[in-house]
Amino acid sequence: MDHRTMTRRRLLGVSLGGAGAALLGMSGCGASSGSASAGTDHLSLWYWKGALSDKLLATAKRGVPGMPGLKVRGSQIPDGDIDSKVRTSLAARAYVPDITVANSDNLATFFPDENEFLDLRTLGAESVRDSYLDWKWESCFTPSGRMIGFPLDAGPTALYYRRDLFQKAGLPHEPEDVAEEIPTWEKFIATGRTLRAKGPGKPYLVSNIGNVFQQALLQSPKQFVDADNRFIGDQQHIRRAWDLSVEILRQRLSAGITDGTPDFNAAMSGGRVATMTTAVWAINGLKDTAPKTSGTWRLTTMPDGPANYGGSYLTLTRYCRDPEGAFAFLKWLLSPANQLKSYQEMALFPTTPASYADPAMHTPDPFFGGQQPIDVFGPAAQKAPVVYFSPYEDSAKIPFFQELTNVEMLGKNPDRAWRDAVNTAATTLSRLGVS
Amino acid sequence: MATVLDPAGAPAAEERRAARRGRSTAPGGRGRHVPPLLAVSPFYVLFAVFGTFPVLYSLYLSFQDWDGIGDMRFVGLKQYGWLLQDSVFWHSVVNTFEIWFLSTVPMLFLALVLAFLLHSQVRFSGALRVAYFIPNVTSMVAMTIVFGSVFAQAGLANSVLRAVGLDGVGWLSSEWGIKSSVAIMIIWRWVGYNALIFLAGLQAIPTEHFEAARVDGANSWQTLFRVVVPQLRPVILFAAVTSTINGLQIFTESQVLFQSTDVGTTGGPGQEGMTIVLYLWQKAFKEHQFGYGAAMGWLLFAIIAIFTIVNWRLVSGSDRDDDRRSGIAGLLRRKGVRNGR
Repeated sequence: MDHRTMTRRRLLGVSLGGAGAALLGMSGCGASSGSASAGTDHLSLWYWKGALSDKLLATAKRGVPGMPGLKVRGSQIPDGDIDSKVRTSLAARAYVPDITVANSDNLATFFPDENEFLDLRTLGAESVRDSYLDWKWESCFTPSGRMIGFPLDAGPTALYYRRDLFQKAGLPHEPEDVAEEIPTWEKFIATGRTLRAKGPGKPYLVSNIGNVFQQALLQSPKQFVDADNRFIGDQQHIRRAWDLSVEILRQRLSAGITDGTPDFNAAMSGGRVATMTTAVWAINGLKDTAPKTSGTWRLTTMPDGPANYGGSYLTLTRYCRDPEGAFAFLKWLLSPANQLKSYQEMALFPTTPASYADPAMHTPDPFFGGQQPIDVFGPAAQKAPVVYFSPYEDSAKIPFFQELTNVEMLGKNPDRAWRDAVNTAATTLSRLGVS
Repeated sequence: MATVLDPAGAPAAEERRAARRGRSTAPGGRGRHVPPLLAVSPFYVLFAVFGTFPVLYSLYLSFQDWDGIGDMRFVGLKQYGWLLQDSVFWHSVVNTFEIWFLSTVPMLFLALVLAFLLHSQVRFSGALRVAYFIPNVTSMVAMTIVFGSVFAQAGLANSVLRAVGLDGVGWLSSEWGIKSSVAIMIIWRWVGYNALIFLAGLQAIPTEHFEAARVDGANSWQTLFRVVVPQLRPVILFAAVTSTINGLQIFTESQVLFQSTDVGTTGGPGQEGMTIVLYLWQKAFKEHQFGYGAAMGWLLFAIIAIFTIVNWRLVSGSDRDDDRRSGIAGLLRRKGVRNGR
């Protein structure tokens, strides 16, 4: 009897002690260093599926070439979770990755907390500056001049259009001719009118006007908030993009469907929308959405000139266990030669212009009737403007996109919608310390 | 340090254990209660870490301005003040109540009818019960993607409407279309769950009542409304209260239905599908305004609390003289029994 009590107690004691020891062990590990890779022989890297080359990561896991003893192990974090996971670990000062991917929208949201990231200039970033696109390099810097990001991929934009629909509507239809015919957004709208009147099945020009607003916006070096933290969303550069979008709607050239919905997929494969104004990374999505339209699409210069839409960065957190090693890894992974490999394997568009001349990038794409996408995207990437994004860009632009949707879907008066968007954005930003 | 010699055991081991604990293990002392308390402690520890602490911390956060990483800035009650002036917040409150009403009322009615039908002698009733419950345990995200296709402009719902000669509806592009779509998804998910609860209540009703009704010549409809509903009242009120609390926290349906890489699509056109929790999520986790999100969470708590008190009053209104300590369930039961007579 007594013996049985003893064993039961001992069992309880042992299991509780074990659980306690495990907890202690976990916290002890986190306390000694904030890095997620503490106590291991490799550096940790967080990325989302498709953000980096799997083959190069497999190599880095075995050992970064030219860096004896340096190993980097990548962990895939779901696309939608990585931002909150990085923030959570930084706030907790524990289990922070040594290296992490940040996308173009997110890098600026880290500006107010720039000291959480290593300044890559102190690790010798300037020595490789010449290899990278100028605007991309500039965008790695915080307003105070700290370089917290390193160029990963770019998102040069182009006008995707249906050559067959243009031809049947009696419009110029070869890429060079279209570029000449549509140098501006105003000409783009005029083309839309012809398409709607003479094209087979009266196709729409765009799927929704938010896309045009987005592209016209990205062509401007100024966005919603300037580097001095002032709200400039009520100014002419935004108003112009807004008016263009509303004009497309007024002339009934927009199909009024949200991208990525089943209706969008049906419209794209059914030839109801004749153009797409977007970045290079949309190619694979379009191929998946509308495989039957293969061969009918072409690419040409965006009206009013190219811009950059999306693209990512690599960052080193201040908890990085081996800053020199991590930076050597960045230089290796994102070197022109390896960016070329990443393009071939993952369609990540290089931020190293030297790669564009390589024959490996000049492959004809049957989806675009044998056109070489690099002929359009290469020059576009080199001509994109330098743009300043503030940490509050999302909060500022959401009301504008919402009000454009209200105008398009619910028939809201455009002038009232503009006033509401400006007011909502200004109010939200004033709470965040933007004047 | 007291040491008890165990006549049958090993005194050395006992001594070591006592020393390790650092306190007396004398029989009858406080130490006796330690093992059972330790044994039940995992729940309290986990609840403290994952329940109490976040709740208290969110209250603290609601007085701060914080982006999730850097230093917090104390702003007092400003977050609440801003929130009360935020038209989108009030829009989301109205939306939440509209969607709640559109979903809960038909859902409870349908669940009752289903439970009644399942209770009668039908073939394969076991399989049917399982079938009706499956939506409740299906992945909501997968389900919402399916509904996204159903409610598309050229989707199943509009095809059915056109087949019977009606015009298509802008399910995801008009105010009431959006609210109905979200409500239909909630109904689909919860009707089977509530039907099971009603079914359990039905099975507690003595069969004599049904037999008596049949002898008196009542048809099914009359049996349902004259016999079943009055007897089920406490169960119906339970279902109504839980559906209300769930309904005020609608999130996933709206979030996934309008999920897109495009900016500003959260909540759909006109933000007609924007619910309180969805707005909280957008502000806190998309725009990194954690203080604002925390304040919103506490206002939602206040709204639910007020609503629950109103519910309570409505339910217990005529039972003031009753013993309140027996709780809402007791009140419901008594009221149900009395009304059932």
